[in-house]
Amino acid sequence: MSEDKILKNLQKAVLEYDSSAAKNAAKAAIAAKMDPLKAIEKGLVPSIETIGEKFEKMEIYLPELMLAADAMRSALVLLLPLIPKGSKGAKATVVIGTVQGDVHEIGKNIVSSMLMAGGFNVIDLGVDVKTITFVEEAKKANANIIGASALMSSTIGSQKDIIDLLVSQGSRKKHAVLVGGGPTTKEWAKEIGADGCGMTAVEAVKLAGKFAKGR
Amino acid sequence: MHKALEGKPMSETDYQLRSFAPKVQEKVREYKIKFDPGNPIPSDNSLVDDIFQAGMELLIDVGAFCTDTGRVISFTEKEIKEALKNAPSKLHFGEGKDRKHLVARKPEDKTPPWCLLGAGGGPCSSDRSFLTLVEGYAEIPETNAITTPAITRVGGMRVRPASPLEVLAAQRNAVLAREACNRVGRQGIPIMNSLATAESDIAFAAALHPKFGMRQSDGYMICCMDPMKVDFARLNKVTVALSMGGAIGMCFGPMLGGYAGGPEGTAVSNVAHHMMGILTYQSSWLLPFTIHLRYVASSSRDMLWVISTMGQAISRNTHLLSLNLNYTTAGPCTPMCLYETSASVTAAVVSGLSIESLGVATNKHEDRTTPVEPRISAEVGHAVAGMKRSDANELVKKLLAKYESKLTGPPMGKSLYECWDADGRKPSKEYQGVIKRYKTEMARLGLELKPEMYR
Repeated sequence: MSEDKILKNLQKAVLEYDSSAAKNAAKAAIAAKMDPLKAIEKGLVPSIETIGEKFEKMEIYLPELMLAADAMRSALVLLLPLIPKGSKGAKATVVIGTVQGDVHEIGKNIVSSMLMAGGFNVIDLGVDVKTITFVEEAKKANANIIGASALMSSTIGSQKDIIDLLVSQGSRKKHAVLVGGGPTTKEWAKEIGADGCGMTAVEAVKLAGKFAKGR
Repeated sequence: MHKALEGKPMSETDYQLRSFAPKVQEKVREYKIKFDPGNPIPSDNSLVDDIFQAGMELLIDVGAFCTDTGRVISFTEKEIKEALKNAPSKLHFGEGKDRKHLVARKPEDKTPPWCLLGAGGGPCSSDRSFLTLVEGYAEIPETNAITTPAITRVGGMRVRPASPLEVLAAQRNAVLAREACNRVGRQGIPIMNSLATAESDIAFAAALHPKFGMRQSDGYMICCMDPMKVDFARLNKVTVALSMGGAIGMCFGPMLGGYAGGPEGTAVSNVAHHMMGILTYQSSWLLPFTIHLRYVASSSRDMLWVISTMGQAISRNTHLLSLNLNYTTAGPCTPMCLYETSASVTAAVVSGLSIESLGVATNKHEDRTTPVEPRISAEVGHAVAGMKRSDANELVKKLLAKYESKLTGPPMGKSLYECWDADGRKPSKEYQGVIKRYKTEMARLGLELKPEMYR
């Protein structure tokens, strides 16, 4: 299969929210000994960017955004390990989740998918994530950014716990902490020493871009 | 519980992305449901009856989902129809002279809406602001029940989930709410968002001890996770509330732009949530609070259409007791906030719903709410009861023209003590001026509201 055809298949798979097609196209890229970075940057990224733009304009909705991100993830799992260390790849790794005691996921899912659309390597820890898990996973993945979502006024305190734990471990400088969700505000982010508060998914992606190379 | 333990196993992702979401769109296509921006409050009975049927079929086809067991909780058409038939059409809340009836309404019904007034669980910074707000809500003549703010700190410490701090905060929520009502002579008024501060099941149960002041005649609001998901913590709350004879109101907020997609799917999803609430939560009253994914509010044109169509679908086809909770983007002491809540309340009331009002400025900022906004909402709710849907449609279009373009950058207005005189229990002079101008403009648009009580 020609490189052009493979790239088109990768693009189409994401635009059509088709995980198995994305996986097959990634396998075809590997079989054709295609540069994995090219497969990602010319195949997957333009489509996921289109998806992100459509979601912003509300031409598509959350399920389509998440399914497209899922399709992209299916291909990335195969392609990313083939990229030689030190070469240009994802902008940065973001570890993201909803804080301990909070099971609300929609806002976190939107930001997670939009970060992926923005070219970040996203490790989504899910909901009700323990403070220690945020920190350990960020350490394990060498993530530049931790994204902590909270929807309840009773749960945003856990965002502060993440920062306190990083400080106590002496690793605060290694990870930017971005907070978001219903009751979080810029004032709250400042009060707890977070690096930023994304009031919208777009703002969260912009903030992540700011800290992509570290704090 | 049997269904939650023995239903079809499925992953949560598959349930919401591969079962619920495509089925909603399938129903929208099948019934050719179409949002009409030119008519945010439609008068088309066949449209809303189709939305009702689509919602019922959605629940039959996909069921609810228990995240703790990973099982689908399925219902047959017979079970749903039986539950709708057996649901109450009238409930009593409150005590003494404040004991009132919440009754089912129909589109264009002259019966005033039940007015559950307050902060809708919005965050407040201190015991002082909690008391200031609840005293103000209890003094509103139209108040049938109180929806309190949520307490965020105890002894200066920020509440942590499922911790002793949350237990203490929930208990304080109960004590202070009753105290505030007692102070202004409305001892019997019901608290119907019991308990806003209790997110966890343990805090909820702990605050229900009678010594903290909660009563059987209060309303027990328990939230559902979008879309149609339950977990053991929520079912624990249901079990505790039922054991003390409390009337459960399931609140649910399918987001416009979320799993149900656009306005059409969101209306269908709302109908299905009503039925799911009476079946899984044994809910005797319902509280939809759909908000827009982008604006985090319920005053945009498509949101008014969702409120109106799902309200008409439910009130025309059932006798369920349903109250719509609305959010504004703008903050207190701004005309925009008052116009926004007027539009949302109008859409709900003429479509057969009662109201919970309201979350101000997206309900996220501490103390950015006052007793004025719910009072105005209630005055509008009473004024539009009995209005024809077609007239209401024209009214909300005029209101939309005033604020629609500002929804992405609304004015945040002022905080509680900047525009509310706590000692005099009245709005500041500046806010009184805003209200006066707002009422004059509403009269010009064709809706006469009560004369202002302040001098």
